[in-house]
Amino acid sequence: MIKLLPILLGLLFVAGIMVVFLYPLLKKRLGLFLSLFPLLLFALLFVTIKNISSDYLLILHGKTEFLKNVFFDFRVDGLSVIFGLLISGIGFLVLLYSSWYMKSYERQGHFFMYLMLFMAAMLALVFSDNLITLFIFWELTSVTSFLLIGFDYHLEKSRQAALQSLLITGFGGLCLLFAAILMGQIAGTYQISEIISQNIDFVNHPQYNLVFILVLAAVLTKSAQFPFHFWLPGAMQAPTPVSAYLHSATMVNAGIYLLLRIQPILGGTDIWKYSLILSGVITMFLGAFFSMGQKDLKRILAFTTISALGTMVLLIGIGTPLSIEATMVFFIVHGLYKGGLFMVAGIIDKSTGTRDIYVLSKLFKPLPLTSFFAILSLISMAGLPPMLGFVGKELVYVAKIQLPGLSWVILPLGVGANIMMIAISLTIFFEIFYPLKNKSAIEIKYPEKKLPWYFIAGPIALAAISLILGIAPGGLNSLVSNALFVTKNKIIDVHLLLWHGFNQVVLLSIFAVALGVLVFIFRKHVNRFIHYILTWLNKLHLPTLFMKVLNTYLHLANKNTSRLQHGYHRFYLMTFFAVTVIIGAFQINWHLSELKPITGYTPVNINMLLLIIVGTLATIFAVFSKSRLSAIIAMGVIGYVVGLIYLLYGAIDLSITQLLVETVIMVLFVMVIYYLPNFALLSTRKSRIRDIIISLVVGFIVTLVVLHANAINIYEPISGFFAENSYLKAHGRNIVNVILVDFRALDTLGEVTVLTLAAVGVFSLFRFTVNKKVNNGK
Amino acid sequence: MRNIILEKVVQLFLKVMLIYSIYLLMRGHNNPGGGFIAGIIASTGFIFYAMIYGTEKIRTIMVFSSQQWIGFGLILIFISAIIPLMFGKEILTGLWINLENSAFGSIHLGTPLLFDTGVYLGVTGVILAITISIMEVLKWN
Repeated sequence: MIKLLPILLGLLFVAGIMVVFLYPLLKKRLGLFLSLFPLLLFALLFVTIKNISSDYLLILHGKTEFLKNVFFDFRVDGLSVIFGLLISGIGFLVLLYSSWYMKSYERQGHFFMYLMLFMAAMLALVFSDNLITLFIFWELTSVTSFLLIGFDYHLEKSRQAALQSLLITGFGGLCLLFAAILMGQIAGTYQISEIISQNIDFVNHPQYNLVFILVLAAVLTKSAQFPFHFWLPGAMQAPTPVSAYLHSATMVNAGIYLLLRIQPILGGTDIWKYSLILSGVITMFLGAFFSMGQKDLKRILAFTTISALGTMVLLIGIGTPLSIEATMVFFIVHGLYKGGLFMVAGIIDKSTGTRDIYVLSKLFKPLPLTSFFAILSLISMAGLPPMLGFVGKELVYVAKIQLPGLSWVILPLGVGANIMMIAISLTIFFEIFYPLKNKSAIEIKYPEKKLPWYFIAGPIALAAISLILGIAPGGLNSLVSNALFVTKNKIIDVHLLLWHGFNQVVLLSIFAVALGVLVFIFRKHVNRFIHYILTWLNKLHLPTLFMKVLNTYLHLANKNTSRLQHGYHRFYLMTFFAVTVIIGAFQINWHLSELKPITGYTPVNINMLLLIIVGTLATIFAVFSKSRLSAIIAMGVIGYVVGLIYLLYGAIDLSITQLLVETVIMVLFVMVIYYLPNFALLSTRKSRIRDIIISLVVGFIVTLVVLHANAINIYEPISGFFAENSYLKAHGRNIVNVILVDFRALDTLGEVTVLTLAAVGVFSLFRFTVNKKVNNGK
Repeated sequence: MRNIILEKVVQLFLKVMLIYSIYLLMRGHNNPGGGFIAGIIASTGFIFYAMIYGTEKIRTIMVFSSQQWIGFGLILIFISAIIPLMFGKEILTGLWINLENSAFGSIHLGTPLLFDTGVYLGVTGVILAITISIMEVLKWN
């Protein structure tokens, strides 16, 4: 049954591409239709988890080797099933949701195409068992998320946000590629399962640090960890369904997935532990802290996501079975409430036209169902019973407490972040939903009754699941235990409970709630304080700084290019000749000892002598000529002389070609010459002397090379083969032509392509000037 | 100023050049000639024609634009390249058929001729595209 997985994954990609053809057929129902695909996948995974044991691992080997040692292998185990369930489940809801949310947008087809491809890439990423394919899907999520974030590409803000996220996550992706190659080189295979089963001692390998830093860079950029966190708030320029999906189950969670996946390979060292804990702690606290000072609902949620991601990275850094268990649970918790809350933000935005929490008010009456489940999600975010968020947060506390040595730093910051979460949840509830507040009610464009069921189904379903799992968390036991087996390689029983009894963790929770309420009550002061810090930090505004660095880089590149591509033909020629001369002289010097004395001259041919005299005279004439036309004619004479020399040595085709080309060039020259400016002597005496020296040196070196060309015969010439086989195998007596169209047809194909490109270049350049002239004329 | 003698001469010149170029193309495999040379010769005829009659007239004479001719050339080359694939050979392998005792005596036809024709059209198109562009910029009429 689960063997259908690769087929379903492929189907997702195909469906994504087929959107082009499906959209004209289905129009408004496209989103609903597409949502069937992730639903199928979700159902498949759901059926699978019912009957798998804790040490379940299935590897589906791909058949086609598209690179050396790289197959599309898929693995199904506890970890990938958890991620797969969340991605496909929330994907299903997001598709339902966006089929109404996007209805007023143009280019809906594009949107669904990007979203489907993004979903497919993300699912393929968590199921792939090969480092290289993992990298490919990783980058594919970066690219598709770039397209999604920049979906409103007419806004400069979203273009900039999209570019930023692409550059940052793309950079991380490159690091991941290097890490994957290094790991593959060390292990001799790119299969993750084989790398794990071979028990290679990565940790003591001399290149461990390099591999780890590369992986770390990939994770920190993808999962928006400090100091790369700034792309994520920018990414909320995307349409809300995308934000809901990006934050809850996909994209940023890919980094978490990668860490969990390679934890058994690279994890457990000091550098792993401390770097993850450090960046996790900073991100966790900063994210929660900054979310307090925001007004935009989506922006608040974006910062809380950063905080949650920091928590997960921190937990993985701690690395005990308990903390990994907490990571898993927290990932599920976060996916459920964050997906729901973002969708609620979108619903509120649609029905009121704003997302400013200080403008919104008293939404409970017009949006009763949405508000109810949104409040449940908020409770889950705050980590209060009876939601799953409480279970998750308790586990996180337990994991933080049991870390010896560092818990005195981590715990206060963790509690601090939780206090912020509670305060922000309360703030949102109080400002938006609380019915008794003395703020005037906001005007509602779409009350809930007018909204279709599938638009509000998402947040309701997610919050309901969160509630059910909170009351009966035992349902997650086997799932989390499966995932734990993957990272810890031993069976660990998991018993999730809502209520553990009265212990220090509960005390901590109560303390946090109390302080959270306190922060909420004094939120005006706290906000002022945060604003003060924010304005101070804005001098160091990271997105602006990033753009500045980028622009400086572009400016430098521009400068360098204009230095190399200066546009002076004579300098190009000089560079070309100088390089040729230097290489030629170097080579001659290199082979000096091997050079044989030159012997065996053929007697001088009188025709040849005449031609050379004519050619030399024409050259001298061309150089000293006072008129352009005569100089050009003299150049033509040189060309003809060369053509005749070919003829004397029996290269008839070459000679004909040379003569014809020379003629065409002459004709073109004559056509243009009338339009050229007056012929004047512009070069200085100095530059002429320089040119003379260059040409003399070039002539000298070329003569030397020609004289010795016969002596240097490293390989047997191929001309014998052509002469022998030209008629027998290729049925042609004209060897040159046979070489061109048969033996070396690929070269000719390339040449014709080059010619075509040249024609396209000339054509478009001239077309441009013609049009400009026409426009100016008007 | 129209010069009728010149016009007639150029018309004749174009025809002669075209016929001669096709002759060179056909004999190219066994004797001096071939697609490249034939292409240059054909385009010389067209260039002279264009110099006398102007670029507007040359477009009608050529039926298709020079860019389209380049395209046809590339398509022919492409076809000759993939025909061997259908017979299980490597790409660009020369394939031949013998037509013995046909109306023109025994004829040897093969994909290299198709390839060469592609080169011929391509080269003609390229030279004409460049020349006509230049002439249009110069407002040559």
